Amino acid sequence: MSVKHGLLALLERGSRYGYQLRAEFEQATGGTWPLNIGQVYTTLARLERDGLVHALPESDGGQRPYEITDDGRVELTLWFATPISPADRPRDELAIKLALALTTPGVDVRAVVQTQRTATMRLLQEYTRLKGGAERPGDLAWRLVLDAMIFRAEAEVRWLDHCESSLARYAHIHPIPAAGGVSDDLAPAETTRETTKR
Amino acid sequence: MSVLELREVYRTHGKGETAVHALRGVTLAVAPGEFVAVMGPSGSGKSTLLNLAGGLDAPTRGEVVVEGSVLGGLNRKQLAAVRRRRVGYVFQDLNLLPSLTAAENVALPLELDGMSLRKTRRHAIAALEEVGLADLALRFPDEMSGGQQQRVAIARALVGDRRLVLADEPTGALDSQTGEAVLKLLRARVDAGAAGVLVTHEARHAAWADRVVFLRDGEIVDTSGPLVQPEELLHNVPGVRA
Ligand SMILES: Nc1ncnc2c1ncn2[C@@H]1O[C@H](COP(=O)(O)OP(=O)(O)OP(=O)(O)O)[C@@H](O)[C@H]1O
Ligand SMILES: [Mg+2]
Repeated sequence: MSVKHGLLALLERGSRYGYQLRAEFEQATGGTWPLNIGQVYTTLARLERDGLVHALPESDGGQRPYEITDDGRVELTLWFATPISPADRPRDELAIKLALALTTPGVDVRAVVQTQRTATMRLLQEYTRLKGGAERPGDLAWRLVLDAMIFRAEAEVRWLDHCESSLARYAHIHPIPAAGGVSDDLAPAETTRETTKR
Repeated sequence: MSVLELREVYRTHGKGETAVHALRGVTLAVAPGEFVAVMGPSGSGKSTLLNLAGGLDAPTRGEVVVEGSVLGGLNRKQLAAVRRRRVGYVFQDLNLLPSLTAAENVALPLELDGMSLRKTRRHAIAALEEVGLADLALRFPDEMSGGQQQRVAIARALVGDRRLVLADEPTGALDSQTGEAVLKLLRARVDAGAAGVLVTHEARHAAWADRVVFLRDGEIVDTSGPLVQPEELLHNVPGVRA
């Protein structure tokens, strides 16, 4: 998601000042996505350049409200209608890290998996506890955001479980070489070479 | 004092070459008001651990202590009493008796304990209400869905005043909302002073626990407990006021 679409969605409710947008954006994302006012104004400037919002005359207090344009509405509708592409950076980094751990001699991959799982599990516990505290109906938006984080963390744990069982099966067929040691088992070494060639 | 304590517990099935080491030196204590989740791959010893904790199985070596009683030191009658009064279980296979209604299934442990019929009935209905099934009290297990049967099994584990609640995959046949409701129920029971142990494959459910213990090949390989208090945690999240 982009701040851009977030602001468009807020402006769809009516014209807003920069400070209002910032406050409402943070409220809508349950405080999980803090914005600074500079980001809000640069985004508004870009939206205005692209014809998606336009600035209204300054108020007496020197505040400049913005309103959404028809093109902005089209953009917003499109955004709601388009699925988010799975460009989850942290997960990619983790997958790459595990792949590297697997092919780097002397790394205990199971320990890497376990360390990550414990950390993710702890996060999951913390999110769950926060959720336990949010019971008022007005907290629905906040709970949705929390739920999203919870399900994502859960998916990561499941993926790690899957990695662990794949590793166990792999280790069964090809014993992983000991730390720094030279293995006379060729299979893992071959895998290493293959991977580095690509 | 801990409600449950496992001290260097081993459980081996069979002998010699073909021996299966289901648990290998597990030590674990669960205090009143503490909820522990046990996770681990299939065959890692989770159900074994729970069965030992509930006195349904005995360790090959080591001790299991429930509310100060070493289970190995009790005679059969005493052990049966501990299991009836102190421990509530939800088994992996539900173990509802097919010839009894939901209410009768839930009331059974109390009845066995000599409580009057009227009283057991009242407790049973209250427990069924807690899991949202008061309407189905008179149905037989084969007249209910898998998820409903599971909730009856949970009601049976929670009925009366159990100090130790043990649950093996209690959310298996439940959708995510009902599963969460069950977890909340277990959590509430623990917050009211019981000790809870939950076996689950689902991280999202394990996350309701205070501590998550990972088993692998019969050994505890890791424990994840929250590091911070909820109040501090709230201060750490931007935009949330404690
Ligand atoms: N009665 C028995 N005789 C022989 N082996 C047994 C017996 N009961 C359990 N085992 C073995 O002990 C190990 C641990 O079993 P356990 O049921 O505790 O696993 P689990 O972690 O609960 O698995 P799952 O997630 O599949 O329920 C397994 O290897 C299992 O085959
Ligand atoms: Mg099991």
